[in-house]
Amino acid sequence: MTFVMAVCVAACVGVSVYLLLGRDLKGVAMGVFLLGHGANLSIMAMSGSPVLPHDKGLSPSNLKAAPVLGKHVPDPALAGMVDPLPQALVLTAIVIGFAVMGFLLTLLIITNRSTGTLVVDRLADEPVCTTRTDTRSEPFQPAGALS
Amino acid sequence: MNPSFVILLVIIPALAGLACVPLVNRLGVCRIIGALGFALNLVLALSLLSPDRALVTQLGGWAAPYGISLVFDAMSGVMVAAASLVALACLVHAAGSLPDPAERRYFHPLVNFMMAGVNLSFLTGDLFNLFVAFEVMLMASYGLLVLGRGKAQLAQAYKYVLLNLVASAVFVIAAGMVYGLLGTLNLADMARITAELAARDALPAGFTAVAVLLLFVFTLKAGVFPLWFWLPDTYPTCPIAITALFGGVLTKVGGYAVARLFPLVFLVGDAGPVLQQIILVGAVLTMAVGVFGALAFRTLRRSLAMFIIIGVGYALFGVAVAQPGAIAGSVFYMAQSMVVMAAAFLACGLIETHLTTDDLRDGGALQKTHPWLGVLFLVVLLSIAGLPPTSGFYGKFAIIRDALGAGFTWTATVAILAGALSILAVLRIWCSTFWGPEPAVLPRDADARAAALARVPSASGYAALVLLITASLGLGFLPQGMVSLAQSAGRQATTPGAYVAAVMGPVAPAVPAVPVKPAKATGTHAAPADASHDAPQPPKAHLETHPKRPARTAPTPAPAADPAAPTVPASPAAEEFHVRLPATPLAAAPHPAEHRP
Repeated sequence: MTFVMAVCVAACVGVSVYLLLGRDLKGVAMGVFLLGHGANLSIMAMSGSPVLPHDKGLSPSNLKAAPVLGKHVPDPALAGMVDPLPQALVLTAIVIGFAVMGFLLTLLIITNRSTGTLVVDRLADEPVCTTRTDTRSEPFQPAGALS
Repeated sequence: MNPSFVILLVIIPALAGLACVPLVNRLGVCRIIGALGFALNLVLALSLLSPDRALVTQLGGWAAPYGISLVFDAMSGVMVAAASLVALACLVHAAGSLPDPAERRYFHPLVNFMMAGVNLSFLTGDLFNLFVAFEVMLMASYGLLVLGRGKAQLAQAYKYVLLNLVASAVFVIAAGMVYGLLGTLNLADMARITAELAARDALPAGFTAVAVLLLFVFTLKAGVFPLWFWLPDTYPTCPIAITALFGGVLTKVGGYAVARLFPLVFLVGDAGPVLQQIILVGAVLTMAVGVFGALAFRTLRRSLAMFIIIGVGYALFGVAVAQPGAIAGSVFYMAQSMVVMAAAFLACGLIETHLTTDDLRDGGALQKTHPWLGVLFLVVLLSIAGLPPTSGFYGKFAIIRDALGAGFTWTATVAILAGALSILAVLRIWCSTFWGPEPAVLPRDADARAAALARVPSASGYAALVLLITASLGLGFLPQGMVSLAQSAGRQATTPGAYVAAVMGPVAPAVPAVPVKPAKATGTHAAPADASHDAPQPPKAHLETHPKRPARTAPTPAPAADPAAPTVPASPAAEEFHVRLPATPLAAAPHPAEHRP
């Protein structure tokens, strides 16, 4: 199972890195979403008993129980319960990722409307200055060169 | 003071933001709500601040390792107070400088939500909650970043948005790895476990790698050397009040996260020197890049953005030195830098109304027409550079003094050089806007320039600027209160035991779930009451609150070999709560600061 998880995470992250390095912003956005999925899967892969030295008085069977149950599992039926915390984390991350996806897609649409392109190279790389409308592209003229 | 008040610092901006959503078209009401909220936050934070007290509240009443803790100690409190002040000033400035249509585009809800996220990330004591706080802050800041929808704004926004999205994914992965390695996400619990593991030389494999992943996330937000390039492109594109808010507050959140997490959790054992080197190299290169950028850029906004980067470099340098005084300097410097960087951008906004541009080549001779603005701007710039009577001095002084004392000669030299060059850079900025000759203006532009010079900027712009400058000068001339707070923060950061005890409660930290296995073998320590033991037994409370200090005399004693190892009353509650933890008492953890020659 760990191997399958590892392959899934590697596939997600690999594809997303390929997309992130592209020039089309749509692809970059898809890469971001895939990276989020890879991150969520990797949290699932991390769940289980912690990678601490277990031999100091804790038997492995106790450690396999979900930490919310504590050392003494109150009900034998609960002994097989998995640790719910990573799932709560993943749920939170998915919700946040969903909001981010909505924002990013909106931003893409607005950018496309306002600049007419979604290719990184063609997005104007103008000098950064909001208060000035004319860009200073001509070389600076010293005072003596005037009039 | 009831520690539950701490949660108000997050709730007030969140509620104010919610209240502003339906009222977004009634700007006057929104402004009053926002200003009242930030002022209330500032007053609350200042009244809760105290050098020798850490207020801890556990959300929902869940005990520390499982619930989410909010910690209001000297370090987080100073940052919350400074951030609230900056937000208040930026809101006041925005009321006069931001175009009304942009302000109606949900400016007020976004600012309030962003400050809720910022305050939560200062206060939280839980790694995953820190991620959530970052996301709240970032989502709001994405919205603010594209407010007004300028073409350049949209084009540059992608750098910020995409880099932060990648950083968020890395943060999720790192948080999952921390949980997988340590079995906890509570910062105090993490600190306790890593200290124990480092004392036993048993840090799990990959610990340093996880720390580096987190360092990537935080330094990207802070704008540290290899990850600084987005900052001078994106921040200056926003309307100036938003730029001031971003430049003041957002980078400091990343710097604060490094200053909070790394001395507490990650600078232990074998990982300590490695991480310290990484942070140190990053800090030095950040200072160098920042100061050269500040000297080289030709627009005011970009130059000021590079001063943010210099400030982050200094703050990280103090953290890397990892001495109490240096971290105190970092905390002081970060809070001071928030205030003065925001003031510098607000002053830049006022200057732009007269010059119609932020191009330094179009400035000059403004001192003739606007002498008071020139004086205010000079005070701000000298505070940034850290000339002695102003507020920037103490932080840099404390950091460099401790660095020299701890043997960081070369890096301290770079820091001093960066300080000297930054004075040159601020003088260049001030001279080319206020002092220098009048710019060469084409005849057809002369009338426009005269009209712009005569333009009267809004009173609220000056009010916000004067508010921040007063606070900055107050820090410079009456620094005692702030210095004692910062020193307390430095002491707390270098003695993680105090933080752990404050968050986990007086009993929890030193209580292992089960008696130590080798101790069981000797048969003397298994009994809960051990009063008859003839060895001098240190009082338990002493071990809990000062667990680090004995390390110097008796480095890493194996708990079993130490006859004075405290036995632990096996309380059922402790067993319930600490089943996943290693079972030795919180023993001597070598802090990197102590092992430096």
